[in-house]
Formats: sequence, C-alpha cells, structure tokens
Amino acid sequence: MLKKGKLKLPDGLGILVPGFDHKEEENGGSEPIFESGEELEIMEPNGVELGRKENEYEFDDLGVNDRVGDKVDAFRTRKRPDKDRSGQVSVMDVIAADERRSDLEYEFSQKEINLEKVKRIASMGVPDGVGLRATAWKLLLCYLSPSRNAWEKELTENRQKYAKLKEELLLSPSAYTRVRADAMISAELSREGDVAGPLKRQGISHGDHPLSVGKASAWDHYFKHTEIAEQIDRDLQRTHPDMKFFSGKSSFSKKNREAMRNILLLFAKLNPAICYVQGMNEVLAPIFYVFSTDTDEQNALNAEADSFSCFVRLLSDSVDHFCQQLDNSPVGILSTLSRLAKLLKENDEELWKHLEFTTQVKPQFYAFRWITLLLSQEFNFQSILRIWDSLLSNPFGVQDMLLRICCAMLLCMKSRLLSGDFAANLRLLQHYPDINIEHLLRVAQDLNADTSSYSLSM
Amino acid sequence: MGHRVDHEYDYLFKIVLIGDSGVGKSNILSMFTRNEFCLESKSTIGVEFATRTLQVDGKTVKAQIWDTAGQERYRAITSAYYRGAVGALLVYDITKRQTFDNVQRWLRELRDHADSNIVIMMAGNKSDLKHLRAVQEEDGHALAEKEGLSFLETSALEGTNIEKAFQTILTEIYHIISKKALAAQEAAATSTVPGQGTTINVADASGNTSKGCCST
Repeated sequence: MLKKGKLKLPDGLGILVPGFDHKEEENGGSEPIFESGEELEIMEPNGVELGRKENEYEFDDLGVNDRVGDKVDAFRTRKRPDKDRSGQVSVMDVIAADERRSDLEYEFSQKEINLEKVKRIASMGVPDGVGLRATAWKLLLCYLSPSRNAWEKELTENRQKYAKLKEELLLSPSAYTRVRADAMISAELSREGDVAGPLKRQGISHGDHPLSVGKASAWDHYFKHTEIAEQIDRDLQRTHPDMKFFSGKSSFSKKNREAMRNILLLFAKLNPAICYVQGMNEVLAPIFYVFSTDTDEQNALNAEADSFSCFVRLLSDSVDHFCQQLDNSPVGILSTLSRLAKLLKENDEELWKHLEFTTQVKPQFYAFRWITLLLSQEFNFQSILRIWDSLLSNPFGVQDMLLRICCAMLLCMKSRLLSGDFAANLRLLQHYPDINIEHLLRVAQDLNADTSSYSLSM
Repeated sequence: MGHRVDHEYDYLFKIVLIGDSGVGKSNILSMFTRNEFCLESKSTIGVEFATRTLQVDGKTVKAQIWDTAGQERYRAITSAYYRGAVGALLVYDITKRQTFDNVQRWLRELRDHADSNIVIMMAGNKSDLKHLRAVQEEDGHALAEKEGLSFLETSALEGTNIEKAFQTILTEIYHIISKKALAAQEAAATSTVPGQGTTINVADASGNTSKGCCST
C-alpha cells in the first residue's frame, strides 16, 4: 500500500511533540487498558508524526476474535515509556476491565437485564475481544429488549423484515419483476383463460421501459439508485483503508463492503429526503465491524440485518445533521455547532475567545466532521469503539456526550491552541493527535454543564 | 482570512479546491503540500486545510488551500469557505465523463459564492490512467477557452503538472494584485479605500519576511 503515514504529516507549522501538551492534566489520568501507545515509536526524531500507522497492524486480521486479545496484550507491552509511570495502574485497569467483563457476562445471562447497570458498566468501556460489545450496543440502542427470552423472536422477525425490504428495494426493476412474475405465472397458470389479451412480459408496462424518461418510471428510480450506489461504493473503498476488514481485494473485505453497501442503499431508499450523504459509511463502520466480529456465530452471520436496524436507531437523533435543508434550523448542524461553542465558553472562556476571535478558528471548520460522523474519523479504530461505548451508554443521550467529548478535545489541547495561530490550530484540530482516551472521556464527563436542562432546552 | 499574520511571507493567497467527489482533490492537495499520494485516502467531510509557502516572481507567497467535500450536501456549508478565496482549482476526472459535464455546475457555484475576480484553473486529473480516458484533452481545452479558464491535465499519482497548476494560479493572482496595487498607487490621491473585496483580502495579508518559510 502506498499509504503509510500519509494522513498526518504536518509541515512544521503545527504539531510539535505529539504526546500530551497538557501534562498537568495528564498526571491525573490513569492508564487506559487498550491504549495503543505504539505510535510514539514511529515518530521521527524531529517530532514529525508519521500518521495513523498504528492501525496497520493493530487490525491486521480482525474478524478472528480470539486473536484480538493477544494483540491487545502485545500493545500493553509496547506502551510509551513516559506514560508507563505506574505499572500498578495498568494492572489495576486490567483487573477493572476483567471485572467489567464478568459483570457484563453476568448481566447478559439474566432473564431480565438491568439496562441502567449495563449503561454504567459500558460507560467505562466494554472489554474487547469477547463478543460483549455487540450485545451491549444492541441493548444500548434498544434493538434488543431487556427481556432475554424475547431476543430470539425479536431477532428473527427483524432479520426477516430486513430480508424482505432488501428484496423489494434493492433488486433492479427487471430482476424484481422477474421474481414477482415467476410467482405470478404460477398463480396465473392455475387460473387459466382468466385474462384475454397480450401476454404480460415480466410485468413491465409500456410506460416503464428502460428508455422511458418519465419521472415515475421504475427505471428512472433505478438509475438514480445506481448513481447513489456509485457514490457509496466510492466511499466504501475509502472507509478505514488501513483495515483489512474494510479494505483491499480480499473476498472477505469485498463481502463486508457489499453488506455495508446494501445497508446504506436501503437507508437511502427508505429516507429519500436525506438519501445517502458522504460520511454515513464512517458512521456505519463501527457498528458493522462490532456485529460482524461477534463471537456468536449466528449473530455474526446476521450482522448486516442487525447493523441496518442499529444504524437507523443511532442516526435517529442526529440524522438532521446530514440534512442540508435543516442547516439553519434548531435541529441542524449549525445550531449544534453553536451549542458546542457555548459549552466551551461555559467551561473555558479564555480558550473560547482565543479560538473564536483571536484566531477565528470557527467550529464549522473542524467540529462539523467531529459531530456529523460521531468522531468516527478522528481516532484510531480501537479508540473509536471505546468512545462509542461512552456515547451509547450516556444517560442523556448520544448527542450530549458527543458535545462533551468535542469540548474536552479542545480543552485537552488548550496550551497548544493558545500558542497557535489560525493555520496551526486548524491543522491541529483537523488532524487530532493521539491522546489518552480514558483521560479525554473523564474530562468530558467532568465538564461543567447542566446536561439535563441543556439537552432539554435544545 | 482575518486571522493573525505570522510574518513569514509577502502574500497570503487563499485557494479552494472544488470538483465532484472522487476526482482526486485531496490527493492533489497532499501532493502539492506534502509531496504525498495516498491511493486510498478517506473521503473528505466538510473541509480540509493545508498550506504551502513558495516563491512567485521573487516574492514569498503562502498558499492557503481549502479542500472541500465533493458531495452536494456539503456545498451549503462550504459556501463559507469561498469567502476570501482568490483562486480556485476546479478538478474533474478524465476517466469519468460525468465529472467533466459537471464543471458547469461548479462554475455556477463559484459565480454564486466566490468573488467575481477569482482566478480559476481547471484541472483534468488522473492523466496517468490513459487507457481509461473518457474526456479528450481537446475537450478540456475547448471548454477552458470558452469559459476563460486556465487549463492543465494533471496526475496527482505521478505528480504531473500539480506544481505547475498551482504556480500558474498563484502567478496569475500575483500579477493581478500587483497591477491593481500599481493602479491604486497611481490613483492614490482619489481614494484611500480600495474598492474590491479581493484586493483587500490579499493586501491585508501581506507582511514582512522575517522568518524562514514554514513548509516543504
């Protein structure tokens, strides 16, 4: 691959030492369990960062679950020395993660699952590699009900519904009518001589020929659908290009891309006002990855259907951000961006002033992507999953936590931002450096914001 | 562009990269600013930003380049990015006819949102993919002539004409600026306030050259 370290090469203006500019804040932070600290090892001595290389081996063969744990162990031994100041903390974190694992396993084995408890545990991070995250996310997104006994029926019904939708909406008109015609022919054969006149040819009416330009033509829809499909394909090729799960020529990744394509196309068809917007591929990726790598084989096989439903659920409170017509409305992206600015102002007026006025680094230049994509393009994949544990388990909803984390991302870079000019700051925020995720999440959690009135008033 | 000037250049020019999704805008940017090509880069959401400082007619010019998302949805947001832009690189993909046909839409977009004096260069990218060519170079030239644009075929992958495309835009901008400055000097007595938005943006960005340049 040509892409090694292509994403983050600063040209000397901005990024200095890509560790932590906020040592004083860092000191309070304990070691994250699954922090991949190896990126420091690929730093050039002059402080030039070689990009998001960690993913290249981090997720070499994801999909093979039992190996993920090994890899994580390998990470631990490779922690950056400056952060390894207390090995004990790491050990304690390992123990804590193991506790969360057994707590979740216990919870999931109950007839009636206590969702509040699941939220509490998940907010501290769902342990990787043991198939817990898929179940946790499905519960947190209310795709699975807390009654364990209902799961099988719910899942079967949902998966069947998905298969039917797919058949109706994703086949080409001729393929679909052919399927229908086959059914019809067998039905008609039994009612011989019922209808006089020309034979029906695969159910395509005269007005619905491929060359027909009528707006209502099924073919017109189909061609439009093809255009969308092309855009989706282009973006899927560019989804986590550093991970073999999504990218490359292997039949494994092709199969994954095909499933994601179906999901996105179906979403576009069912939501014509929003259709497909670039970036939805990035939002779908973590869900589909987590569900596909579920240790439960049956669940993994049905990842496409389950991901579709959960993707829809996840987007339900943020889909307006994708909608251009709503940009200037209270639910649109611009209003959310100003909420972020407000949150920053409440928590750190100095930094807010510096960004807003001194350097004029407006939130739409950097946080637009953070918010619409739920931070799925800002960090390495493992960190994204961890962040999403917190997003999904937040009692005040995904959007509340999302804005908190965005604000915390600014606070954690405070000293660099205060010393940076427009160009340096924009570069820093558009290529956010690797950071201790647990620390970031703690800062987000501790933010000064009356979240209840905050989310209600919006 | 009303941000703080870091006094490393004589002029600061804002350039926007526009064109359909997938034509290679981001790679043109990374090639020009970092000498890197990435076969599978992520799709651009919203806007990305990079700078490069270079010499134009003996002056140090800092090019501040904004790379925008190609998809329609992002244009409403990106219209803010056109503010203060003095140059545009309008990119299409020579292997995708549709992206060339859409050049007119992008020109309309520029007319609606950008300064009317913006310098536009059209680039037919991916010229390395000769066997897949769907737009003839003559067609590009013809359209450029009709619309009064500069034109080059480029290949971000091979690095062909990337440098030249930006040099051409920046030189043209610089010439317009210096001509205007001259005209302004000659008419100095008549007015103290320059009339054109473009001139203001560029003029207030000029500083002195005290430090070395900051990018590759």
